[in-house]
Amino acid sequence: MGATVSPELILKELAELWVDSGKQGQAEGGTGVLRACSMTLLVLAEAGEDTQGLGETIAALMPEHPARAIVVRLSGQGERTLSARVYSQCWMPFGQRRQICCEQVEITVSDAALADLRSVVLPLTVPDLPLIVWCRSTRLLQMPEFQPIASMAEKIVLDSAAAPDPEAILQCAQEMAERGLMLGDLSWTLMTRWREMLADVFENQRNVAQLARVSSVEVEWGGSRYVPALYLGSWIEDSLISVGVNPSLKLSRAADEDFLRVRLTGDGFAVELARQEDRMVVTLNGCSQCANLPQPTDYLLMREELGIVRHDPVFEKALVSAARLTHPIKQ
Amino acid sequence: MPIENPFQDPLRFERRVPECAVVIFGANGDLTKRKLLPALYRLAYDRRLSAGFAVVGISRTPMSDEAFREKMLEAVKQFSEDTTFDDDVWKAFAAGLFYVAGDIGDAALYQSLAGKLAEIETLRHTGGNVMFYLSTQPSQYARAAQGLGAAGLGKGSGWRRLVVEKPFGHDLASARELSDGLHESFDESEVYRIDHYLGKETVQNILAFRFGNGIFEPLWNRRYVNHVQITGAESIGVEGRGAYYQEAGALDDMIQNHLLQVMATIAMEPSASFRAASVRDERSKLLRSIRPMTPAEVRQNTVAGQYGPASIGGKDVPGFRQETGVDPQSQTNTYAAVTVFIDNWRWAGVPFYLRTGKRLAKRVTEIAIQFNPAPLHIFNQDGGQDGVESAPNLLIVRIQPEEGISMKFLSKRPGSGMMLRPVSMDFNYGSSFGERSPSAYETLLLDAIVGDATLYTRQDMVEASWGVVEPIQNAWRESPADFPNYPAGTWGPAAADGMLARHGHVWRKP
Repeated sequence: MGATVSPELILKELAELWVDSGKQGQAEGGTGVLRACSMTLLVLAEAGEDTQGLGETIAALMPEHPARAIVVRLSGQGERTLSARVYSQCWMPFGQRRQICCEQVEITVSDAALADLRSVVLPLTVPDLPLIVWCRSTRLLQMPEFQPIASMAEKIVLDSAAAPDPEAILQCAQEMAERGLMLGDLSWTLMTRWREMLADVFENQRNVAQLARVSSVEVEWGGSRYVPALYLGSWIEDSLISVGVNPSLKLSRAADEDFLRVRLTGDGFAVELARQEDRMVVTLNGCSQCANLPQPTDYLLMREELGIVRHDPVFEKALVSAARLTHPIKQ
Repeated sequence: MPIENPFQDPLRFERRVPECAVVIFGANGDLTKRKLLPALYRLAYDRRLSAGFAVVGISRTPMSDEAFREKMLEAVKQFSEDTTFDDDVWKAFAAGLFYVAGDIGDAALYQSLAGKLAEIETLRHTGGNVMFYLSTQPSQYARAAQGLGAAGLGKGSGWRRLVVEKPFGHDLASARELSDGLHESFDESEVYRIDHYLGKETVQNILAFRFGNGIFEPLWNRRYVNHVQITGAESIGVEGRGAYYQEAGALDDMIQNHLLQVMATIAMEPSASFRAASVRDERSKLLRSIRPMTPAEVRQNTVAGQYGPASIGGKDVPGFRQETGVDPQSQTNTYAAVTVFIDNWRWAGVPFYLRTGKRLAKRVTEIAIQFNPAPLHIFNQDGGQDGVESAPNLLIVRIQPEEGISMKFLSKRPGSGMMLRPVSMDFNYGSSFGERSPSAYETLLLDAIVGDATLYTRQDMVEASWGVVEPIQNAWRESPADFPNYPAGTWGPAAADGMLARHGHVWRKP
């Protein structure tokens, strides 16, 4: 057995960290640090992932979702090893003298020690606040060792598009949802603004009255937009079916990387949504309008997911439909 | 019957915003340039407006649609405080800006407006919904409403709403007269009286704090609360608005509307739901429970003030009477402090101190709730703690500039012995949540477009507020004050300290 960790020691180090931060803040003439916490965020990432990029994403999330962040780095094969370090992320809000700090714990674990992870994480979670698991490792998602971790979580966030085999992850996610686990998929989150823009078009009573004419829904995707395209297509189809419209759904692959476009057409009626750089262009019967649509980042997507700690019936329905769609598309 | 939009997802999407045209009377004025257009542009930037959205500016100056767009572009660039200017978003937004020139008293204006709205409805698909925003001289409100009514614009294929800026009259009679004028063409449910204080994030957070948590409400009454101080202080003077301010004064300009509304939010009974009518009913009930003052009580429980010249930070600043456009013998109050009592079971006997003023020591708006001290001072029986132990618990709700909530309580000093000291536990809105808070006008404009009147003032609330303020106005008018009575840059007249001292209290220095 290689290195091990003691949760009690980590908690003691966390407490000392706060004392040190407070002393340092006062010594620098400030008024100490402000401690904020709204959840425990458990991030499961492969050791090879960009450490700095992930750290910056977590730090960016903290002002809106202050949390005790536990970052678990999966070191893969090798001897049974668990190690940990504790540090804090502090920032000084503009124009203020007081630092805001959030605590972070980093745990490195080999595959052989994964079974011990639950017993280390459980005592480290902040009492009475939700535990959100952000599983960035699609490899871990499919391992049996993930199940005890999942069972502790209030919500699990994954990104099915990041997997080499997204269909398998969609199936896995659907099974978890069927078991009652609260899920989020960043590939679905990526579609929120698209869905919202489409919904906006049909806020107009004249347009919504044309819905019955829609006979075809076409979604074209390129590169990594496969799973988002599945979600978007199945969500549109489900929504139309819910009002008695049965369009044909066609998903096709485009040559361009990261391309995504959706078209709803019918007798004398056409709506198209397409991204052009940082803007979304919505074309209704040939008349176009554009709106600001920043490139999605993990930070923006996670910010939305952390704001929804409850079951999301629209997503859960789309997940079932998207998983169902994967088989014909593969053929 | 409207068809349901099957694509809506309320859990993830922003609130549904219907298509509409916003008609702004006074489109060439300061409020439009500084607040309304920047707020509407920001809403467009955040994709909060429907695609079927348009603005029609109205003022007397002849101008083309294009010239109006140019003018508004300058305003948005100059007055959007924390919004990145995006050329493409502006182009899409500006395509929905239109202009009609005319005089509010001229029937021809309303015919032109009707024609423009019909044209816009076809062009921009505004769904026949129109919100009229009166950003003009208050004396023209009723005339504009009547003009709209006479031209048939008060009704249409979609909804109609009328947004009115304060002041809502200058006393009870004029407030009623104004409402009667508006009601000739618009139903009370279509009238939105805007009080931008209620649109501030922290004022809304008072409702969340009080009614979203179970632990505070049991303490929120006369048994535990000693008194409440509500401060709305400005460090600046009248800044070139002397002529206007001379007609209003601090009592009418701040206490009658903003501070009494904030007080109603702090002191109202829990509403049965968060529906607009329910929340507004409770606010209104609270305002009607405020005890009106007799002339003798006005002398005891109110203080008027006016700032005199002073040197602040090495810079000489003029007194109010030396400001441009102000009568050198002006009796206008630039400071007002009022002790208010609420005659209901919850608050009977608890003084609510309201103060506001220009050229005070700092710019701050906050509510301080002071709780009763512990009934027995067991840690101070030898008298060695200099009264620290009797320091009261305070709950401070800061509205501006740093929105947040602080709680002050006593804690043991580290070390041997039982020495106590007050400590403060702070929740800072800006730093606890990193997201930008929408401006009050963004919140309120969007609320009016979606038809949510929760944060708007209703006629009965306006009348109840005047019922509180009018006896003070009358008494002050009858006995001219010896102004100026406080130097600029201080916390107001000494008499205001005396007003609290009569109840054994002192003003906080925020």
